[in-house]
Amino acid sequence: MIIYNPHNQKILEKRLPLIKSIFENIKAKHVFITGSFINQEKYKDIDIFVISRRKKITHFHIPHINITIMDFNDLHSLFYHSLCKSCISKNILPTKSLKVTLSDYWRVINEAVPTILNQKTTYQKEVRFLLLYTKYFKTGEVLDTFQLNETINRFKTHESVLDYVQKETPRIMNKKAKKSYLKKFFYTQAGFYTEHTRYNAQNFLYNLAHTITRGL
Amino acid sequence: MVDATEFRTRVTKILSQDYQIEFLGGNFDKIVNFITETKAGKIYAWISEVINENIQPIIISSKKSYKKWKMNQLLVFRYPLNINNIEYRVLLVKVKNSIYIEFHLGSHKYYDKVRKDFDLTRKNC
Repeated sequence: MIIYNPHNQKILEKRLPLIKSIFENIKAKHVFITGSFINQEKYKDIDIFVISRRKKITHFHIPHINITIMDFNDLHSLFYHSLCKSCISKNILPTKSLKVTLSDYWRVINEAVPTILNQKTTYQKEVRFLLLYTKYFKTGEVLDTFQLNETINRFKTHESVLDYVQKETPRIMNKKAKKSYLKKFFYTQAGFYTEHTRYNAQNFLYNLAHTITRGL
Repeated sequence: MVDATEFRTRVTKILSQDYQIEFLGGNFDKIVNFITETKAGKIYAWISEVINENIQPIIISSKKSYKKWKMNQLLVFRYPLNINNIEYRVLLVKVKNSIYIEFHLGSHKYYDKVRKDFDLTRKNC
């Protein structure tokens, strides 16, 4: 069993035997556990990730367990790079280069903004990807699960998350991409929203796309 | 607990359109059977809110084809549902300024698959 813990976070050692038995129970080489179950007493749900070419993994019944199967191609994702930074793993985890684009980032924003506006009081879970991507493109740093939870907790309202996106995204896009690309990509995106600006989310995205093209 | 046929009938009635919406999702009937009357009532109320344009849609910014339409003609409305601590998602798909074509109900994994089908996320994102 390997513990990836770059920031020396407190780990609930008494849960390690259970984690070990779960790993033995799951017949796959690359199995890892991440999330609050590792370090927070009140969390009982166990998020297990299995890297496998198989679609289904056989295991004995384990209560509170959620298994996500990742394909080897998923190892290029920002999601995997974040997960595997702080986790407990059955074996040494495989690594692959990170492949993430500004267009992926915009897809995340496009989905997150309506979701946040629909879940104004329960938005916390829904901003994980948004904050992970924003931080990555802003600083180059891939936040691990613990850092991501801390970042989310710093935002007290859904408006503060949207303000952050409104402020940071144009800067990031203008720093990372050529003006010609931004104009072409974001004018096209704005075109998709233009007919739907009666919705607050699409109005926000429309204005954001235009702000980016103006180079602000 | 809610009967799946009755659930479909109620949703169809609320949408009140000539086009027959498709009900899709892994274990659709089984999941509906887990829904309490109260939670079903919330889903019906949410559909009414979608019709009244009080719910924010996700716009698909892709020109690829999807059935008889282009993806950028579609609006996706998403409703998170928790049943016995398991996360499910309802997705209602509308053609812009027109009909509702699909009602999805499925687990988180099913939702991720649909997101990929709708080009909302890259295959390995």
